[in-house]
Amino acid sequence: MLDKYYFSDQMTHEAPYLIPPGNEAAASTASRSAGRKSLRRDQAAFLIGIRSFRLSTAVALVTVALLLAFTLSACGQPRASAAQDVASSMTNHMARVTPQVQATWQVKAAPVRLSIPVIEVNAPIERVGITSTGDLAIPAQKPWEDAGWYASGPLPGELGSAVIDGHLDRPGGYPAVFWRLRDLHVGNEVVVVDTQGEMQHFRVTAIAYYAPQSAPIQEIFANQSGKYLNLITCAGDWVPSQHQTTLRLVVYTSLE
Amino acid sequence: MRRSNTVTSFMYYFLIMSVMLLIAALTDMPAAPVSAASPAFVRIIHASPAVGTADVFLDGNKLLSDFGFGTVTGYATIPPGPHKVQIALVGKGPGASAINETLSVSPGVAYTVAALGAQGSNLSLEVFIDNNQLTPGMSKVRFYHLSPGTGSVNATTNGQAIIQGLTYQQASSYVDVRPGSYTFDVNVSQPSTQLSVAATLAANTVTSEFAVGIFNGTPKIQFVSSQVPGIPGLPKTGSDPNPAAAPGSTPPSSTAGLWEILALLVVSSVALFTWRIVHPFGWMHNPSAEGKRR
Repeated sequence: MLDKYYFSDQMTHEAPYLIPPGNEAAASTASRSAGRKSLRRDQAAFLIGIRSFRLSTAVALVTVALLLAFTLSACGQPRASAAQDVASSMTNHMARVTPQVQATWQVKAAPVRLSIPVIEVNAPIERVGITSTGDLAIPAQKPWEDAGWYASGPLPGELGSAVIDGHLDRPGGYPAVFWRLRDLHVGNEVVVVDTQGEMQHFRVTAIAYYAPQSAPIQEIFANQSGKYLNLITCAGDWVPSQHQTTLRLVVYTSLE
Repeated sequence: MRRSNTVTSFMYYFLIMSVMLLIAALTDMPAAPVSAASPAFVRIIHASPAVGTADVFLDGNKLLSDFGFGTVTGYATIPPGPHKVQIALVGKGPGASAINETLSVSPGVAYTVAALGAQGSNLSLEVFIDNNQLTPGMSKVRFYHLSPGTGSVNATTNGQAIIQGLTYQQASSYVDVRPGSYTFDVNVSQPSTQLSVAATLAANTVTSEFAVGIFNGTPKIQFVSSQVPGIPGLPKTGSDPNPAAAPGSTPPSSTAGLWEILALLVVSSVALFTWRIVHPFGWMHNPSAEGKRR
């Protein structure tokens, strides 16, 4: 059985409160007296009621505001939103440089599989080159499942920066091979297996987001101070007019 | 009524939880990016006829030993910021350095640092910013004029002008040429003479030609060449989330559940609001009515 209550006509601009039925006559009296003397317990209950009412109104307003903000700012595939030129951590080891020597590649087996256990990546590796516009190319045979090793750079495990890229997502937004790369942390393990079954183990040393035009490509592709494997995928928002996203995610790893 | 107090309290908790969930969902950030600065990349060329074979010190630590005239190193990584560079004759130590300068480098940038000077009194370091990004299918070449006492130079190949009016302590801009074997004809203004240098320029590489030494002097004028693989740009590893070919699909995303959370929030706000109308707090009534009931 529900009592019927209604709101005082004062509720919109003064202390709103509920008038029990049968007390309508007393309602205006009560509202006028609302700001005056304190009646201890009832006054306290009064104030709590006021706060409660305003709380639920405030929450409703906040909800609407957030709803609006979310709707207006949504753009393409939601992703990690770090938008500044964040650079990676660096090794403090200086290279023992020697006079320039033409690099000679030892005959070694090509990488065929990439495993990142903590994010359940277990992907075949294709060779990739460069595009006609001079960017690192993406896997062509199975673009969404395979990772691509930059075959003009060092093999994973050799001196310098080996690079492997992979798609974050596929058209329509469903995950691709590097969907969870952003969940990696410093210290996570990355494993590369070659055609001979040999495994190279790497550890994540840094994670960074860059706008593609201002990324430190010398560090990503040509750091001869150690043996590195750097993983690249996209991040940020999709820009339809450019047919690309605003950012790239680079995960730096070092050979163990 | 006590029961309505409990229900109302429960609804408040529900509301607060929904708000917290909403905030958590909206501010979903990736695993923390580690953000120390990228190192700088520095290579050094010994182009000072006045300094013999040398040791190079960086911030007091030996970086190079037995660094001979006309030698160019690979790129070493050093932290961004200012560094003390000292070049001393081999074995003499940094205290007896012939060149003593501060080198300031920026994150991610590649530099060529030339040790220069024909006399002991005018030894110095000259710093050039390098760009090793490849030009697809082409070969990049750049000339550095590091020969003291030699006037400005032009270089041509097969009649094609490559550089013009390059003076001492200058580097040219990068020139894109088709991959292949070249002979560059270098015309010197003062003394009026011509030199030639042969180079095999591979596709997607960057070649630096350093003119060092002294014309008719010791060490004699010569070209030192250094070729590095060119560096590609970053790949386009994203996909269009709303392609024309895939209408109406709802992709899983990092904001999956956001709409559900918002709906929850709206529903719980409305429910609380409604409940409060119907079941106010037990003690929320007119004092005089309270008195009458008793």
